[in-house]
Amino acid sequence: MSTQITKEQYQLFTIVADTNKISIKQLCEKTNVEQPMVMGTMTFAQSEGWVEIEEFKRQELLPTSEAQELVEKGLAERKFLTVLQQNNNSLTMQDVAKHAKQNNLSMGDIMKWGMLRGWFKKNAQSLDLTEEGSKAISEDAHDEKALKIAIVKGSVFLDELDGIDSGYVEKLLRRRGELAKLKERTVRYITMTEAGKAALPSLKVEEEQVNLLTPEDIASGRFREIKLRPYDITEKADIKVPVKCHPLQKIIQETRRTFLEMGFLETVSPHLDTGLWDFDALFQPQDHPSRDMQDTFYMKKPQFGDLPNKELVERISKTHEDGGETGSSGWGYKWDSEEAKRMVLRTHTTASSIRYLSENPNPPSKVFCVGRVFRNETISFKHLPEFHQVDGIVADKNASLCSLLGTLQAFYRKMGFEKVKFKPSFFPYTEPSAEVFVWMEQKSCWIELGGSGIFRPEVTVPLGCNVPVMAWGLGLERLAMLRYGISDIRTLYGSDLDWLQEAKLCQ
Amino acid sequence: MPVIGISVKQLSDLLGQPITSENLSDTLEYLGCDVDGMGKTIIYQCPKCSLFIEKQEHEEAPKRCTQCDYEEEKPFNSVDEEETIRLDLLPARPDLFDAGGLARTLKGYLGIEKGLAEFSLAPAQLEVFVSEELQKPDNYRPHIACAIVHMPEIDSKLLRTIMKLQENLHWGIGRDRKLASIGIYDLDTISGPITYKAVAPEELSFCPLGNANEKMTPKQILTEHTKGKAYAHLLEKSTKYPLLIDSKDQVLSLPPIINSEETRVKEGSKNLFIDVTGLTKTDVHKSLNTLVSSLVELGGSVELVKMVNGDKKTITPDLALRRIKINAERARKWLGINFTIPQFKELLEKMRFRVDGRFPNYEIYYPAFRTDIKHEVDIFEDLGIAYGYHNIKPKMVETMTVAQARPEELLSETARQVMVGLDCNEIMSLMLTTEANHFTKLQLTPGDDHAVIQNPKLVEHNIVRCHLMTGILESFAKNKRKPMPQKFFELGNVVHVGNDNHDTKSWEERRLCFAITGPKASYAEIRSYVDGILAELGWEGSYKVSTHPSFIEGRCAEVETKNGNIVLGEIHPQVIVNFGLTNPIALAEIPLAVLFK
Repeated sequence: MSTQITKEQYQLFTIVADTNKISIKQLCEKTNVEQPMVMGTMTFAQSEGWVEIEEFKRQELLPTSEAQELVEKGLAERKFLTVLQQNNNSLTMQDVAKHAKQNNLSMGDIMKWGMLRGWFKKNAQSLDLTEEGSKAISEDAHDEKALKIAIVKGSVFLDELDGIDSGYVEKLLRRRGELAKLKERTVRYITMTEAGKAALPSLKVEEEQVNLLTPEDIASGRFREIKLRPYDITEKADIKVPVKCHPLQKIIQETRRTFLEMGFLETVSPHLDTGLWDFDALFQPQDHPSRDMQDTFYMKKPQFGDLPNKELVERISKTHEDGGETGSSGWGYKWDSEEAKRMVLRTHTTASSIRYLSENPNPPSKVFCVGRVFRNETISFKHLPEFHQVDGIVADKNASLCSLLGTLQAFYRKMGFEKVKFKPSFFPYTEPSAEVFVWMEQKSCWIELGGSGIFRPEVTVPLGCNVPVMAWGLGLERLAMLRYGISDIRTLYGSDLDWLQEAKLCQ
Repeated sequence: MPVIGISVKQLSDLLGQPITSENLSDTLEYLGCDVDGMGKTIIYQCPKCSLFIEKQEHEEAPKRCTQCDYEEEKPFNSVDEEETIRLDLLPARPDLFDAGGLARTLKGYLGIEKGLAEFSLAPAQLEVFVSEELQKPDNYRPHIACAIVHMPEIDSKLLRTIMKLQENLHWGIGRDRKLASIGIYDLDTISGPITYKAVAPEELSFCPLGNANEKMTPKQILTEHTKGKAYAHLLEKSTKYPLLIDSKDQVLSLPPIINSEETRVKEGSKNLFIDVTGLTKTDVHKSLNTLVSSLVELGGSVELVKMVNGDKKTITPDLALRRIKINAERARKWLGINFTIPQFKELLEKMRFRVDGRFPNYEIYYPAFRTDIKHEVDIFEDLGIAYGYHNIKPKMVETMTVAQARPEELLSETARQVMVGLDCNEIMSLMLTTEANHFTKLQLTPGDDHAVIQNPKLVEHNIVRCHLMTGILESFAKNKRKPMPQKFFELGNVVHVGNDNHDTKSWEERRLCFAITGPKASYAEIRSYVDGILAELGWEGSYKVSTHPSFIEGRCAEVETKNGNIVLGEIHPQVIVNFGLTNPIALAEIPLAVLFK
């Protein structure tokens, strides 16, 4: 029995038979048949032993929409060739900057690409034109040639460029996104086998097979008569990247949802707060290292805030000095109300839990707050001066170390960490304190993901709260970095469009 | 946080029984120590001043001495190596900074020795006279406490342990020698009594540690000696310097800078004189008590010293036991663990306390160095640790509560959904910025209503944002080479200064800012977005012509509402240039409160 094929398929086979070797892309262009269809036909033919498919990886050079203008205008380092030549082939670095500015050329481009091309050489204080550089004045570099061809043709494969060093082109254009993109393409070539050539005459062409379903086909009812050809549904398509919320925002929202699902009330406190709420109310002595100018941002404007009601301030002050009515021995120093009035950028979201407790001292309460906190740090891959923290508290007559661990376990499990363990720790305002570790399956290790504890009575009693209060918090950037597999915290606030789009929402 | 390497062998010797690294590491973790791992530590010695320098196996051998600055072309010779367990120092527990202190705690936890570690004190013979002059405000370091410790003959390993402990206490309690600094001397090179007095910068001279052949005045030490220069800032306000000197005018040290070479503790020394001087009495005594108690664990015995301050005589170290009362019922509730009555005593003794009294009221006696104990809850924590966090069966608080999200956050969620639906990518920018980026580049004049930081480490962070435009425009700048058009939005808080109704003298508002850039970005486009958002959130507005220096005149509008004003328009080309951009930008900023019904 002879195989039935469509008219289009027959056309495709005829072209393949007549050509020594032809690519899928060329086949599409010649026949106007859609690529999935062509590919499907050829895969079928290969399984019948009629054709052979060879695959090659090729680099395709795709110029950007701005490339033409940039190349015609002349690249910064090319224009600078002439500048250097006119200045006896050498300029001091200061003059380089001056000339670059006068000619409106990017200094970064001149240095980076000019040096990479070997056109310029940096000596101690000067930038010199190299021999290669002077040769380049009258002749386009390989990448410029390639780019010009690509601009005319829309795109070009590096290996089809004669007399152009594709390695050089790749080196120069791989990281120069404003000019072009290099994409790796898989190119498939089809050759007909002897068996194919023999089989071709015996194939039966079926008339009524259709590729494209049109509105007319549907309206007229013709769809009942035609046969819609199957596609090769395994064929890859270009990814359509959705616009989305910020990846860190996603984690913030998940965290909020977790607390809400556990019955917590959301609260807030100002980013600028008095030392009283950020430190003193948490029983942090006024000479504590964390209150140092080295670690905390103090405000010049507004420099001082107001203290809350006198009775509360008095209780806090007494607690610091001799323990007051908390049963503690206190810190044994003279508490200074001026220090407590100093405005700071809050160093933790615990300040908002404390503000809430002072207004709502009666149990039970379950409260959380997500927000930015600030540390006087320089910027590095590990540190930013501001980051997000989440803080939760439970004030309850049955709150205890045991229920703290239980609540944390439930919380972290809801956050997606099945295995949780606890280790004693030391924080100034909780007693006992515990650090939370979660098991990271991908890395096969325990990772510290937050601190917790029961507020010291020195914290809660002055606020009028007489039951144990469990508290815990964690930094969300750390979680985000683990989740999205990034090693540089700056990425989170860098607004790089590619990263924003590529970070997976379901991760 | 500094990391210490503790020799596993030394620890086993002190425990009196072998311990596997694994068991050691687990036990330390149960106690709350942060174990950094195991490794080999190699010890080098400076050929000139004999300072020991420890490096981890993978670190480079030193070529330069940190004490005397002596430098060689080739790395120093290693003198020893040992298997160590590496721990992060716990600032709250300086009594766990060394092998001695750790051994004391571990013995209890492992059941080798229980209850208080008590020892006898030999009566004071040596006197230290403290000069009145040091109590004056312009002559620094008013507080001093001293002790004598008789050790077994000190070998190089013990010497290293003591030096390391001294250094760690300088960090942990002394805040790098500022609040308290320790001097340790070979007692047999000193003739009592000793005087603690103030001297003029060039009144006398002595050989500082590491410079056996060169006498220097205090002034020279502070300006020429490596350690002197490093710590000179601690004495910069003083007109005279503190000095310890013996009855034969032999200088002991210039606290808190350096000791004298002649009184240096060497291998073979047996008797130690120790002083701690500092700014606060608490930290001085805490340092001395911690050091002396650890030396006892390392085989020492303590002799008291008489401090004479005019008519006032005191004996140091003050190692009298401290006492605190606890209630066992409250402990059960606080920890949520139903301890049996015998368990209380057993667990507390495991943590090296003495327990007196009867259930439920106990009196706990604890050593002087446990200054972290201020309240019965501190004892509760030790009870919890003794029980082991890993043995606790977690359970939940069962009280029913009702969740409630903040309305502003709910509205933000809706706004975020609308913006994503409008094909805008969300960005998050920092709240800290500069006047140049926040005002000048936007052709705005800084007013009085933005918050200014007093002490930023980076000049890039000296104000807090009061609008969201900078973050959006900077994001465009970062993506200027990516395909156009681009659409970004940010939802975030801005801060305004100058509202006396708030205790923080400032107020915040949540805003939504979004912008479009590309060759075709225009007022019409941003206007249709704003209309879309307002319609979606159930609000209609009337637009009025506005002048805003950041926008093109005639292409900027404002919508006034009682909760704030919406601004929208095409960004001024000069502003675009100021941010290093080339494409037109249309932007809108909406106070979220506007959208509240």
